[in-house]
Amino acid sequence: MERSWYWRVALIVAVALFSLWQLVPSWFYFKLPPDQRSTEAYEHAVPGWAPTSQKHLNLGLDLQGGIHLAMGVDVERAVKAKVARRADEIAEYLKSKNVPAESVTTTAGGTRVAVKAADPKQVESSVLDSYDQEMYSPGVVDGAVTFAFKDTVLRDFQSKAVEQAEKTIRNRVDKWGVSEPDIKRKANNQIQIQLPGFKDPEKAKELLGRTAQLEFKITDDENPALDQLRGQLTPCATADGFRIPLPQGGCWSTESVELPNGTARAVTILAANTRPEIEKLIQEKATPLLDPQKNVVGIGEATVGQGPTRQQYYRTYLLRAKTELTGDYIADARAAIDQSQQFGQSGRPLVQFTMSVEGGRLMQKLTSENMRRRMATVLDDKVETAPYIQGEISTNGQITLGSGRNPQEMFEEANQIALVLKAGALPAPVTISEERTVGATLGPELVRRGTVAALIGLGLVLLFMVAYYRASGLVADVALVLNGLLVLAIMAMIGSTLTLPGIAGFVLTLGMAVDANVLINERIREELRAGRTIKQAVQQGYDKVFWTIVDSHVTTLVAALVLMNYGSGPVRGFAVTLAIGLVASMFTSIVVTRAFMEFFTRHETARLSV
Amino acid sequence: MRFKSFDLIPHGTKFDFVGKRHIAVALSLIVNAAVLLWAVPAIHGLNFGVDFAGGTEMEVKFGQPVDPGAIRKSIEDLGFKGASVQTYGAESENAFLIRVERIALMSDADVKRVVDAVQAKVPIQSWSFNPEIGDKIDFQFKQPPSPQELQAAVEGAGIGVREVRAEQGLVAGTRSFAVITQGIREKIEHDLATRFAEAKPDVRRVEYVGPAVGRELRNQGFKAVLYAIGLIVVYIGLRFDFRFSPGVVIAIVHDAIVTLGYFAFSGREFNLTSIAVILTVVGYSVNDTVVVYDRIRENHAKFKGKSLAEIVNLSINETLGRTFLTSFATALSLVGLLMYGVGTIFDFSAAMLVGIVSGTYSTWFIAAPMTIWLEELADKKKKSRAAPSAAAPAAPAGRAAQK
Repeated sequence: MERSWYWRVALIVAVALFSLWQLVPSWFYFKLPPDQRSTEAYEHAVPGWAPTSQKHLNLGLDLQGGIHLAMGVDVERAVKAKVARRADEIAEYLKSKNVPAESVTTTAGGTRVAVKAADPKQVESSVLDSYDQEMYSPGVVDGAVTFAFKDTVLRDFQSKAVEQAEKTIRNRVDKWGVSEPDIKRKANNQIQIQLPGFKDPEKAKELLGRTAQLEFKITDDENPALDQLRGQLTPCATADGFRIPLPQGGCWSTESVELPNGTARAVTILAANTRPEIEKLIQEKATPLLDPQKNVVGIGEATVGQGPTRQQYYRTYLLRAKTELTGDYIADARAAIDQSQQFGQSGRPLVQFTMSVEGGRLMQKLTSENMRRRMATVLDDKVETAPYIQGEISTNGQITLGSGRNPQEMFEEANQIALVLKAGALPAPVTISEERTVGATLGPELVRRGTVAALIGLGLVLLFMVAYYRASGLVADVALVLNGLLVLAIMAMIGSTLTLPGIAGFVLTLGMAVDANVLINERIREELRAGRTIKQAVQQGYDKVFWTIVDSHVTTLVAALVLMNYGSGPVRGFAVTLAIGLVASMFTSIVVTRAFMEFFTRHETARLSV
Repeated sequence: MRFKSFDLIPHGTKFDFVGKRHIAVALSLIVNAAVLLWAVPAIHGLNFGVDFAGGTEMEVKFGQPVDPGAIRKSIEDLGFKGASVQTYGAESENAFLIRVERIALMSDADVKRVVDAVQAKVPIQSWSFNPEIGDKIDFQFKQPPSPQELQAAVEGAGIGVREVRAEQGLVAGTRSFAVITQGIREKIEHDLATRFAEAKPDVRRVEYVGPAVGRELRNQGFKAVLYAIGLIVVYIGLRFDFRFSPGVVIAIVHDAIVTLGYFAFSGREFNLTSIAVILTVVGYSVNDTVVVYDRIRENHAKFKGKSLAEIVNLSINETLGRTFLTSFATALSLVGLLMYGVGTIFDFSAAMLVGIVSGTYSTWFIAAPMTIWLEELADKKKKSRAAPSAAAPAAPAGRAAQK
């Protein structure tokens, strides 16, 4: 045998073994009963010698049951709200500057602000003096000066509205403790949500219930009510710092807080790894100790550790029950860099926000009464941030961030907080534009039918090849089985999803994979008829059809790639399976079968049934 | 070397494919035109599934036999017109597919009626209705009513209300109200659960697609098919000769249309998976064509003296066995899916089968003879331009052939 033959055989054996090895996690995953396929049970079941990434084949929503939702964010309404709020602001602004104006309204379907005044020029210059960063004046219409937002501002604003909606959705999904939810933004202001295994479509509608509710509450840091829990629960920290992950069922820790009188106090907080866990802990341990009229426990997110060991956890804030102010009163919020030189803070990221006129009054009262306390911003029942009140705030306020981190990270955080505050300024409702729910009873039946169908297809193809081409057919059959194995292994390796159309795609690629061997064998027959020796015929057969096989695979691959780009969900699953199948088929039909055939025809006098 | 083999297709056939090309082209033109005409909405139209038409589709399985007519009636009683109820899978499974169109849930007249009814009770400051959403009206009031009042007002106009939702208003510190009028899925599910309680209905699958999304998916699907055809043609052009491309394009388009014909004439649902089949057929049907073109190229170099028609005929006949067998093998793999697939997967397999057969036919009777026709066309042009030049007729694919 040629030297290269040994190399090729080594490669084939390596690929076969590697494929089997890659399928080990999937094997153990599917051995678990469907309702026990949680991350933990799975990690426990997989042996140590399995591939370290532990990626396995996943069942698509159509086979596993679950919910797929696409939600459209009504950005038009958010824009209208922004214009209406700006109109309010401008009216107040003109009043403060003593510029006479008859009326300030919205026009052009709520997309422009119109100011009626005796002296339009004065209004125009006065407004643009202050708002020229964001607005321009398209001119005077019916005796009123109009103002519109610049396109760049609107685009940025719309994308913020979608981002905000996505954040709200994430928050709400997070509360249910669904394993592996997949939430992503799509084109056309759409957000796609996939909740595998989730069985409660009514609950999913909660995602739409209302636009996110933002509330301001004051923390109750002097209240010692929760301090007695320290004796009853496990501490979160050992002498070396926080345990990662936190103990099951939650734990307690302390946070050093500066009180209004200048002293510091170690405030008790509770912490846990998941939101359902901490909710249970609060309900069982903390709530009985509190007066519901006076206090509530807020939940926030925090992280511990750096880099790869960084882990997210949930913690509590003890808050006063009263909602002091809601986000409805916020007109705008943005992240900015501190330009002032005072306190030596120049260049620090901060969050600026603007309240409506009435909101400004409420805010002023709230801040003056609670100077140097912390004010928690609670978005959809989650404490997002709790900065200290350092000065009186009325219409315009700002939140400075804690120091000591890199500016990039801090600016990111400032952006996040601005986004939270915008929940008030961005009343962009979401509507369901697509919903696909598969109940738990359908999946297993489809899997069963799909498997039977695939086995019948595979069996028929195997039978046909061996009946028609005898020994050569058997060689093609071995390659075909290896092909199936390889396809599944690659899918497992990239953790891709097996859908019902995906099974159909898998079956189809098996049929297409033998096409290549049909071409090769037919060519060999032809070469034999032309009077070549079997060894020459095999060589010629493979050489001559090589490019034909490549061409035919590439054209189908092109179609598969286009489909991958177009489809989502099950159809995408089909395209992925088809593409992987085609690549695997090129390897098995050309490399694998050829190595076998060359082995059987190594002598000039060899006989081979084709 | 003695060589024995059993041939399904005998070798050495001398069937005159080129000679039959006029009949074949006429037949194909008729079939294609029929499919396209049939697919025109005004004449018959495709049976668009919810993916493309928008609407709600539910798969419900009952524990005992239920009359589909009774299901349809109960849905119509709920006020959803044009519901369709089909048996799904085998009769004995008692499974049904229920479809309700959702486009134009509320007509403009409905909206006006609601707004007038509300206006009569509470002065409206502004309202908006987005027909793309179809079931939601937003109201702003100077003096906000209670949600109950609002609901009563809307129901007074004869429109069912699912939910009245208080939302943040456009101006900071104000409230607005969203009135959501229907919830098809909830209503049907609840209705089935009560009316057919003894038959134990199990809602196994629900798909809802909004009208805007449906239209978007339809446009994108159409574009995807065009892109795929374009890319494949470019590839074939680069690998062979751009003179081969027209034949390939015509064959691909032919096969795509014939596959579409499966959905058009059977009236089966045309959805995202159907686009997947058409794309796969587009990619797969070229395979046979590539085999024959490869052979034409090879024979062209081998037999210099023969006419193109002879070479094309020879090439098709020489590759007859493999063209048939590759299609046969792929079709075999679909048998299991045809036997055990229900609904979409059955249609996938059946349409794929149609596509495979069409791909083989178009290779023999359309794509290969097309090269001759194009050659004749090129000759005529050449002759009319430089009258009696003695240049030999250019061979298709002369370039890549000499290796």
